Amino acid sequence: MNGKIVAFCCEHSAYLAADAAGKQGLHYPENLRVIRVPCAGRVDIIHILKAVEENATAVLVLACEDGLCQHLTGNVRAKERVKYSETLLKEVGIDGKRVGMFNLAANAPHKFIRIINKMNEMIKEQGEGK
Amino acid sequence: MPVKTGIFLCDCGGSLRNIDFPKIGENLVDLKDVAFVDISHNLCLEEGTKAITSRILTENINRVVIAACSPQLCERNFAGLLEKLRLNPNLLSLANIREQCSWAHKGDVTGKALELITMAVDRAQLLQPVETTKVVVNNEVLVVGGGFCGMKLSLELSQLGIRTTLMEREPTLGGKLKKLEGFYSSQREAMIKAVEKAENIEILTSAEVTGVEGKIGDFRVRIRRGTKEILRTFGAIVFATGYKTEVAAGDFPLKPGVNIISQERLAELLQDPSLGTRPENIGFILDLSDENSRLPTLATLNSALTVKKRWGSEVYVLCKNVKVDSEGVEKLYREAREQGVMFLKFDEKPRISADDGRVKIEAKDILVGQEVTLTCNLVVAEEKFLPTEGTKDLSSLLKLRTDSQGFYQEENVHLYPVASERKGIYFSGNCRGDLDLGRVLTDISSAVARIRELLSPGGIVAEVDRVKVDPQKCVACLTCIRACPHNAVQLVQIDSEKVAADIPQLACDRCGICAAICPAKAIKFEGYSDDQILAQIEAIGVS
Repeated sequence: MNGKIVAFCCEHSAYLAADAAGKQGLHYPENLRVIRVPCAGRVDIIHILKAVEENATAVLVLACEDGLCQHLTGNVRAKERVKYSETLLKEVGIDGKRVGMFNLAANAPHKFIRIINKMNEMIKEQGEGK
Repeated sequence: MPVKTGIFLCDCGGSLRNIDFPKIGENLVDLKDVAFVDISHNLCLEEGTKAITSRILTENINRVVIAACSPQLCERNFAGLLEKLRLNPNLLSLANIREQCSWAHKGDVTGKALELITMAVDRAQLLQPVETTKVVVNNEVLVVGGGFCGMKLSLELSQLGIRTTLMEREPTLGGKLKKLEGFYSSQREAMIKAVEKAENIEILTSAEVTGVEGKIGDFRVRIRRGTKEILRTFGAIVFATGYKTEVAAGDFPLKPGVNIISQERLAELLQDPSLGTRPENIGFILDLSDENSRLPTLATLNSALTVKKRWGSEVYVLCKNVKVDSEGVEKLYREAREQGVMFLKFDEKPRISADDGRVKIEAKDILVGQEVTLTCNLVVAEEKFLPTEGTKDLSSLLKLRTDSQGFYQEENVHLYPVASERKGIYFSGNCRGDLDLGRVLTDISSAVARIRELLSPGGIVAEVDRVKVDPQKCVACLTCIRACPHNAVQLVQIDSEKVAADIPQLACDRCGICAAICPAKAIKFEGYSDDQILAQIEAIGVS
């Protein structure tokens, strides 16, 4: 799965933002694979590491905006886990920047596109998107 | 039973032209345990429903994969269809090939669509059925707080035939209605009488909540009445504990006394003329500390108007900007001006001093642009809107959050304004913030609607083992109990030696935080379990 981005999307926000992007005809690169989760807090470190192991170029966790998590602390916990998996990856010599955590609202398809495009630019810069 | 998967592809009326459906079909048939691949035009319409029904019945499949539009749009329909066909709705896996594939990219996206469907197929093969049952719960409701909001709530609930217990800390009902002018005071007697007469309402006065245990449908509440403590069970609890107001002592230069009184004291004077003499001049002060809040403004306007009408005094209101953001307040403000109440807008803080038994107020009116000196017989001080006593104790007792001002924090201000983060506990009215009458009535209706939905006759439909703890793996480390945002996890005795966490399905809100955080991986969230998520990741890039 070289060159692909795996995005864990909270079904209350990011998944809807991705839907909205499609509905509004906003295009983004084809290499994105969305995995729907009930809350970003469901995403475990093992899921992130598995995606890296399967050779995903980037792994994203997309959660609700700060303080607006449907389950109060889900996005905060997700952030901690992403941070921790970054340190784990660095320890084994993998660039921690390949893992990212972003907050966005359901009505923010443009932000969704920006995140995906930014990640793709980063991939290109590092020459890993071949 | 061996897994047998049926795949339905929908090309949305032939509009998804950048996906080559026959090619996808050819590729999918070869996957493991796939019985058939059907391509149709409109799965969401009647023809689609018929096609799915006949195929499922003849092929006898036990996993269904549907590649169509966003699950947000179609999941509920298809799950309902499976249920009708006596297939467990959890055996459905969806691939979003419209919003997140065909519409999101230019050019041919057959490859991506195929991958998305493969992910869904791999997930589907690991899905397990989740049964539902009807849980019969205690359908009595406890309403805490016997003010306007609490009484109105109890009345509406009792009209729906729901048995309600109305609890009040004071010896009599009425709450703030006893201390407010205008509309509120006119409602007091009638409401109390109606509550006392209603069949389904039990009134407990001089009673306080001292403990709450259990979960939705079965809250065990300890209530203290005098020296006695009683234990009662309820299905749901609504807090309508209201607010309190206080003269902001630090902001006001003079101490409250004979000439400087609070709103509440003024209301007492207005209701009982024998208490004091009619003042010649009366001044109201708002916005001394910062922007005023909604209710104190409303009370000020109401009292100013009543004073003007009843006593005929000269009435001045010193303010910065009168907050007229609730219904009817603009009208009230205009009426007050028409009746002769004078509004003075200041920018710098007015200087207030004692002057021979009266109160001297000096301020610069920004509309006239001149210094104004008023000598008032009576000054009604600005009040602060605060959470009522006991809010802090109750919230920590119930493990509920409060906001920055100390009011109960709703779960989501926009989506679920009356719900707390614990299922079955609701807030209504001014205990959750500064609300005017219209907003309080809306709160009451939403709380009643939610309770009605919850306690509908015949029991609550609940999923069995959607989120399940494996007692053999659980080491009772309590991590999940601390992490659960909804306070749903509890510790139960499995046998004589072992204790383990348990998640009552009615209290659980299905976020999966516990499943991710459990160090022993003892919690399984069916539908989003580790192996189901990992299977999706592994499927990426295989085809």
